[in-house]
Amino acid sequence: MLSLDFLDDVRRMNKRQLYYQVLNFGMIVSSALMIWKGLMVITGSESPIVVVLSGSMEPAFHRGDLLFLTNRVEDPIRVGEIVVFRIEGREIPIVHRVLKIHEKQNGHIKFLTKGDNNAVDDRGLYKQGQHWLEKKDVVGRARGFYQENRSVEDRNYLFLTLEL
Amino acid sequence: MAAAAAQGGRSGGSGGSSGAGGGSSCGTGIGRSGLLDKWKIDDKPVKIDKWDGSAVKNSLDDSAKKVLLEKYKYVENFGLIDGRLTICTISCFFAIVALIWDYMHPFPESKPVLALCVISYFVMMGILTIYTSYKEKSIFLVAHRKDPTGMDPDDIWQLSSSLKRFDDKYTLKLTFISGRTKQQREAEFTKSIAKFFDHSGTLVMDAYEPEISRLHDSLATERKIK
Repeated sequence: MLSLDFLDDVRRMNKRQLYYQVLNFGMIVSSALMIWKGLMVITGSESPIVVVLSGSMEPAFHRGDLLFLTNRVEDPIRVGEIVVFRIEGREIPIVHRVLKIHEKQNGHIKFLTKGDNNAVDDRGLYKQGQHWLEKKDVVGRARGFYQENRSVEDRNYLFLTLEL
Repeated sequence: MAAAAAQGGRSGGSGGSSGAGGGSSCGTGIGRSGLLDKWKIDDKPVKIDKWDGSAVKNSLDDSAKKVLLEKYKYVENFGLIDGRLTICTISCFFAIVALIWDYMHPFPESKPVLALCVISYFVMMGILTIYTSYKEKSIFLVAHRKDPTGMDPDDIWQLSSSLKRFDDKYTLKLTFISGRTKQQREAEFTKSIAKFFDHSGTLVMDAYEPEISRLHDSLATERKIK
């Protein structure tokens, strides 16, 4: 049991070197974590990068596309924008376009969404008895997307556009 | 196979932490468990993959360290290494704090704490980079020679090395800082690693040790002449 050759490197280390190896691994994980949390703070969204999971937004977004989101308080949601929202009780966020908005004087809004490729609006997806979405359901608004180009000639090109 | 390896790793981990004090000098560890003695392989010849550049450099560095510490009985000073470990530990601490705080208070409320942790983390990364580039450089050993009379401050020996990627020329630099006069003297050699390893990847100490001794003696004798 103790003569496994590949453990020789570990056996030759003293406790400082072992601790440094553990720390090295911890730093790699921490760096990834901190970059993600940093993005969360900068964009204000709890999930700054999401993946499109269904084909309900074709031809704009296809399955597997990455979306970059922001969720700043000072940017109002307007009709025609693409929002990522979460329905109460469901974990998976949905990417659809805003169809109608009702806005009060104090800035409180309720809005209706629909996927570009769907025949009907999303009322069927909302919770039982819920007819409108509110700001608290929003994860973020799509600001840019990354799509792997599918055509044979352009297979290796990346397209990244930022809508400001 | 995996279970056996995991078991070996676990017992080695506990053996390593309990025997850390007695690990450096094998002779005094008679009272420790036999498992620890079998775990430590200080006397086994070093065998590494000769095509792996970082493994070659590490084994050469470790052997040079062994020669200086065992043959000349110098005492290793862990100050530099401890500094680096502290900086890394503090950085990981910030990351863990951010993780736990965000879990306890879901996102919008945790924004200020998160922002603080992220900024601190990247500041610590910057400090770490500066530390390794300017303070540590490529030094892997700082050893003190305790003055036998106990009156003068210690002489310091520093070892640093470099081995370029995909290159076979290994440079070892030995720096001597006199405790009394604070003068600094250096000696180095650059040799191909093929001179020290045999074809199977085993480090041949008989070829390597004289080189180290020659470096050391060249610095030591200068001191006597002056």
